[in-house]
Parts: sequence; C-alpha cells; structure tokens
Amino acid sequence: MNKRFILIYKSCIVLLAVIAAMALGSVILIAIGANVPKTYAVIVFEPLKNIGLLAEVGIRMIPLTIIALGIAVAYRSGIINIGAEGQMMMGILGAAAVALAMPETPKPILIPTAMLAGFVCGGLWGALAGYLKAKLQVSELLSTVMLNYIAEQFYTFCLRKPMLDPAEITMGSGTPQTMRLTKNIWLSRIITGTRLHTGLFIAIILAVLVYFLLWRTSFGFKMRAAGASARAARYGGIAVGTCLVAAMVISGGLAGLAGAIEVMGVHHRAIGGITSGYGFSGIVVALFGGLHPAGIIPAAFFFGLLLVGGNMTQNAVGVPANMVSVLQGVIILVIVATQMVLSNKYLMERVWRHFQKEQAA
Amino acid sequence: MERITSLRMEHITKRFPGTLASDDISISVGEGEVLALVGENGAGKTTLMNILMGLYQADEGTIFINDRPVHFSSPNDAFAAGLGMVHQQYMLVPNMTVTENIALGYKQAWKPLKLHTAMVRRRILEISEKYGLAVDPDAYIWQLSVGEQQRVELVKTLCLGARFLVLDEPTSALTPQETDELILLLKRMTKELSIIFISHKLQEVESLSDRITILRHGRVVFNGNTKDHPAGEIAALMTGHEVVMPVNDSKPAEGANALEIEHLVVPSDRGFLAINDLDLTIKAGEIVGLAGVSGNGQRELAEAINGLRTPSGGTIRLLGQDITGKSVREIISMGCGYIPEERNIEGIVPSFSIQENLILKDADKPPFSRGIFLDRKKIASYAEEMRDTFDIRCPGVNVAAGSLSGGNIQKVILARELNRKPKFLVAVYPIRGLDLGAAQFIHEQLLAFRAKGYGVLLISEELDEILQLSDRIAVIFKGNIQAVLGKGEATKERLGVLMAGVQS
Repeated sequence: MNKRFILIYKSCIVLLAVIAAMALGSVILIAIGANVPKTYAVIVFEPLKNIGLLAEVGIRMIPLTIIALGIAVAYRSGIINIGAEGQMMMGILGAAAVALAMPETPKPILIPTAMLAGFVCGGLWGALAGYLKAKLQVSELLSTVMLNYIAEQFYTFCLRKPMLDPAEITMGSGTPQTMRLTKNIWLSRIITGTRLHTGLFIAIILAVLVYFLLWRTSFGFKMRAAGASARAARYGGIAVGTCLVAAMVISGGLAGLAGAIEVMGVHHRAIGGITSGYGFSGIVVALFGGLHPAGIIPAAFFFGLLLVGGNMTQNAVGVPANMVSVLQGVIILVIVATQMVLSNKYLMERVWRHFQKEQAA
Repeated sequence: MERITSLRMEHITKRFPGTLASDDISISVGEGEVLALVGENGAGKTTLMNILMGLYQADEGTIFINDRPVHFSSPNDAFAAGLGMVHQQYMLVPNMTVTENIALGYKQAWKPLKLHTAMVRRRILEISEKYGLAVDPDAYIWQLSVGEQQRVELVKTLCLGARFLVLDEPTSALTPQETDELILLLKRMTKELSIIFISHKLQEVESLSDRITILRHGRVVFNGNTKDHPAGEIAALMTGHEVVMPVNDSKPAEGANALEIEHLVVPSDRGFLAINDLDLTIKAGEIVGLAGVSGNGQRELAEAINGLRTPSGGTIRLLGQDITGKSVREIISMGCGYIPEERNIEGIVPSFSIQENLILKDADKPPFSRGIFLDRKKIASYAEEMRDTFDIRCPGVNVAAGSLSGGNIQKVILARELNRKPKFLVAVYPIRGLDLGAAQFIHEQLLAFRAKGYGVLLISEELDEILQLSDRIAVIFKGNIQAVLGKGEATKERLGVLMAGVQS
C-alpha cells in the first residue's frame, strides 16, 4: 500500500461519514418539517461569515481544547477521565476565590495566581480518582463520575453561602453567584468588539506543552508506557501508580485551568452553568482529535462551530436549538463509528487488493 | 459427509507490500497422512495456512480438495469444505464452560430464543469418545491447563465438522508431558483424517509426520518422506546452514555468590504458597538451570527475584546485597536483567515501537535523555545499532514491536537486557516457540554473557536446553528445590524423575 492510497482511502471514509451523518440528520430534520439544506448551511457556514461569530467559535474552542488535552494525557496513561466537568468546577472556584480574597493585587501577579489556583484545585480533584485507582484499583469510571456529583453540589454550596455576592443578600434575589470579580483578573480581549480573549493563546501553548510532555520527555514516555501496557511498564521498573496519579493531576489540573480561564475571560464571575457540558464534550473532542494535540485543536474548532451554529438555527430557519443538539449527537456517533472503521487495517487491505485488481484489469 | 482424501495447494504465490510471502509453493497431503510444514519464523508457513483457511487470498495458484479446484473467500468457506485450524493462540472465552465455548460456533444449536446446549454437550461427548480426547464439557476454561485448553480447541474444531486439521505450532505452549500426549493423540486421529502441522521442533516432526515440506523465504526448499532423512539434514535445510546448538563445555568459574536465596516464601496470585522455603545459590560465571514442570513456582520465583512479587518470608541477596522487598526499579539499577516468560505482553509494550521498547528501562538516563527530554537522535541510532548487532528483522525500528514475530521480539528483549550491562540475568523459557536459528543465537548470547563472568538463572522445561547450557541443574517441584545436580550427574531420565516429584 502506498501513502497516496492510504490518504485517499482515509479521506474517502471521512467524507462518507460526513455524508452519512448528514443523511441521518436529514431524517430528523424532515420529521420536524425543517428546510434541510438551509439548516445545514446555517450550522456550518453561518458562523464563518462574520468576525463576531467566528470569535464566538474561538471562545468555545478554548475550554474544549484545554480539557481535551487533559483527557488525552489521562487516556494515554491508561485512565479514562470522565470527571473533567467536576474538575472544571473546582478550578472555577479556585480562581474565583483568589480573586475575591485579594482583589487589589496587580494584574501580572493576580492572573497567574488565579490560574495556578484553578490548576491546583482541579488537579487535586483529579488526583483523588487517580489515587483510588492506583492504590485500591477503584474503577475511574465510577470515581470520576461520582466526584462530578460531589463537585457540582459543592460548587452550588459555595456560590450560595461562602462566596455569594453580598449584593444578592441585600437585594434578595438570591441567584447563586459571586460578585463581579476584580478587573485585575480579566483576560484581555484579542479582537475589539468581540469576546474572544487571550485564553486562545494559552490553549495553543498548552497544546504544544502537552505534546512535548507526552512525546519528548522521559516522564511522558513512562506515562505512555504505563497506559499502553501496565504490566510491561511495571516489568520495566516504571512506577505505574505514580504515573496514574500524575496523569490525573495533569488531566484534572487542565480541566481546572480551563474553568479558571473561562471565568477570567468570559463570565468574570462564578455562576451556575459555566461548565455547560464542556467536561463531557472534551472527551469527544479528545477522541475525535486522535488523542493528539495536533488533532485536538481542529477538533475543538469543529465542535465550537457546531455549538455556535446550533444556536443560530432558531432564528435563521426556525429549527430549535434542542434539535441541533440531537443532530450533534448523531454526528458524533457517526464520527466515532468512523474512527473504528479507519483503524480497521484488514478492511483497508481488502480495499487495496480490490483497487489493485481494478488497476491490473 | 465426504472424507477428504487428498488436498493440494499448487503454485501458490502471495505478495505483501515489499515482500513475497509465498513464492510458487506447492504442497500435497494424502488420505490419513501427516504433513509437517517446517521452516524458520517468517518463512511463510502461517501465511500459506492462512491462504488455505480463506483468511488471505492467493495472488496466483489453486487449491484442490479431492482433485476438485476450490475457492475460499472467507474462513467460513474453508470450514464448509471440512477444513479446521487450531491457531497458536487459543480462541476461547475464559469465563465460559467448554460447552458454552463450543456452542458459540455451533450454528445448528442456535434455535430462536434458545441455545441448545444439551445438543452441543452430546456432540462433545460423542467426539471425545470417538477420538479419545478427554474433556469435561462442564469445566470452565480458566480452570483448565494449557494442554487441556488445546484439547478443547481440537474438540471444537472437530465438533464443527472438520475432516482435515491444520495445527499451527500445537506444542509451543505445552509441557513435555503434554506434548507426548498430544503426539499420541494425533497419531490415533490419523485413522480418521489428515493433518498439516506447523512446527519448529524436529523431534516431534520426526515422531509424528509422514512427510515434510520445508519452507525458506517463502519457497519450498525440500519435500520428502520423514523416515528417509535424519534430523540434522532437516535442520540444515531449514536454516540454510549447519545448525550446531552451542553447548556449555567450559569449567564453571569459582566466583563469588551472585544470587543467594534463603528460606524464600512467595505467595501465588490465588493465595497459596507458590514458593515454600526455597534455597538456591548461583555463583558469578555460572549458569544454573532450573528444571521443572511449569506451574511449580517458576514464575513466582522469577518475579520475586525481580521485585515484581513481594515475598512473605526469607531473603534474596543479589551480589551480596539484600534485595528482598526492594522495588523493581532498584533491582534493575543493581544490575539484574530479566527475560520474562510472557514476552509478548510483559517483555515489551506491544504498541510501542522497537526503539521505544529498547529504552524501556533507561528512558530517563543518558544517553537516551538529556535532562527531562528524550534524545531522539541517540535513541534512533542506538536502535539501529541494536538492530544490526542482534539481527532484529523488521521493516524499521519505528514499527510496533508487537507486530514482530516471536523470535524477533525475543531479540529485542535480549538486546535491551544484555546491553544494559547487567551483572546477573534471569532468563525464563528464553527459546520457547522460537525457530532453530533464533534459538541458537539466543543460546550463544547467554553463554557469552556467562563467559564474561556473570551468573544466569535459566528457567526452562526443555531438558535439552537445560542440559546444554547449565553448569548445575536445580529441579523445582511444588515450590521447593528437589535436588541440585552437577553437569556430569544430570541425565534426562534422572531429571524427569525428579521433576515428577520422586525423591532419589
């Protein structure tokens, strides 16, 4: 098999997957009586039409990328982190707490401190699951999901009691949220008139760092060895448990950092709903991106596009945003199935044989 | 059902990208005949059988059954024609019973909403009666030894209607006793059917087969009756040169103690004591062979020495230092090399490249890393060097180590272990499943290591291997050393008796 064949083969499958996903989605759209081609055009092309909407795509890319990077680190080290949602909430709390505690601190000190706090809070939350797996063989599927529930309640508790905006108490509306955080913690905007903030650069830098960590350092080598074959790694003198805990600290830390950046760049206060499912979408982005930073960035862009496009169909073509979520689910399922087809070498060989016969004939 | 009285594969050619896996191969098997297909790893034996079983399609050539040309485009076609294959890796579900496993492939038993297990069970008993294959249909697979699992595979194949058997290295995982039983069994079965079997081991080729076909580099280099040709001739044809297995005939060095084990107690996975009050001493410059039927504590002993299993009592001293309960990493850094039993899943990380596997134990040390970063140039050049020195046959050092053949995987492990400059080596079944050429190479390396004045613990079931290499031979039985014999005193018979637990 030559390289050109492999490339064409893979592109064809991706193309087929997109067509299949759109065909399946069409069934749903026809069922609710929507204009099918127009709906798709809105979802995919509308956000690209003006800079403001493109900036919105970028805003969603930031947490998706950072969380997916963390998921990839954990996955490559042999632990499946489904707890990014909770770790992100802990990160938001950490960053907000720093801002509330020392609002007068100058920007160059406060921003890194808040980010560090976000990383540490998320990392510790992740470490719990890592430690439980390393020491007691507790399945991370169980522990991370349960820790999500705890984090969620803890998050609401903090926003209702210790960190509640004093104005909410006097005004009496009681919305669980902190006060607006000091401007010293706000990330600057990249493009004026949009909400796109410097977190985008941080996400890209983190992608490069994660690549270097996993593939260029000896510690990353050990983490990948522990993930690829725990038994062989143990035989090779690698402390598999330590690698697991470290991977979960990094994974949870990145999710926490994503939360910190989200609160510092977009919301400027801790409030319910900031995470908005990023912790789960991050898993899909990581897998869709092939668990590699170079794949994660475009995957995050694609998902950001779907999120923004999905919000626009209501006004543009009268398709409710909820239906777009359904559509997204279908697309994700088809894409994940496609990855299975793509990794099937036997199928590829069969197609190659067929192709050779055609050529010979 | 019609018997298969003749099977021929004629002028089979199969090309893979960059290699000619089968080059105009013709073989034939008559009624009740046993054909041994022999050749080194990578000679094209398995590819040929995969073509026969419909897993691959030949680019050229034809298969004839009872003189009629047949075409198999999938394994199902081959089954339908009455061919059955037992693979090297058994395809059984461990937490299901024998009956359930066989029912998986037994389509006649699949009724809507009901699996006719009683029918499958009857069929199993019928088959095991007919061929003298004793299996318990209600046993769970995980309860069975490797030899018993193989019998289940045979019963499965026969239950599904095989009238012609293909066996891919059937003895590679069996103990010597199990091997003897299997050979007797297969001999009885030739009354009913014909067999092709792939093997490296000349002994069993001699005792079982009627005819031999030797493949080398994808071509047939020899075809003849087994009884007309001595084993030495076959071995030479297989490798293309004379094979002389190296023998340890030098005097044992009177070195210091390299490894001292006293009153060692090691628990097994299932909680009983796999090693119970074991004493053993190995000197520097000496190979001590540990003979024994597998499952008598060999694995646990090797793991305890290397820190992978914590002893519950006793002491292990390596080069004078107490290593009992030390971590794997510490023991590695003290100079203990280890060739593990399960080379495919423990000795290498299968999805890692060859070069990554070569640095598995030293990734964080110079020259492979500077500071925290890996030095990719040095790693690549080191891997190329090892590839040449140890004759690792691979398309490139970047391919996944798991895709290599067993012999080449073992060379990767050996390259890594020996080049780390260890001062002691534990080698567990180092040539199991390897062809003669690879086995010869590995034995030479072990002897060279000994000649440098280092100690080796060689754990094996192959008495020939133990007798050829060891200075002293210890026999292990139920976690205890039965006896330690000098090179002169040990004979196969005597070892056999000791291995069976009889005290002399």
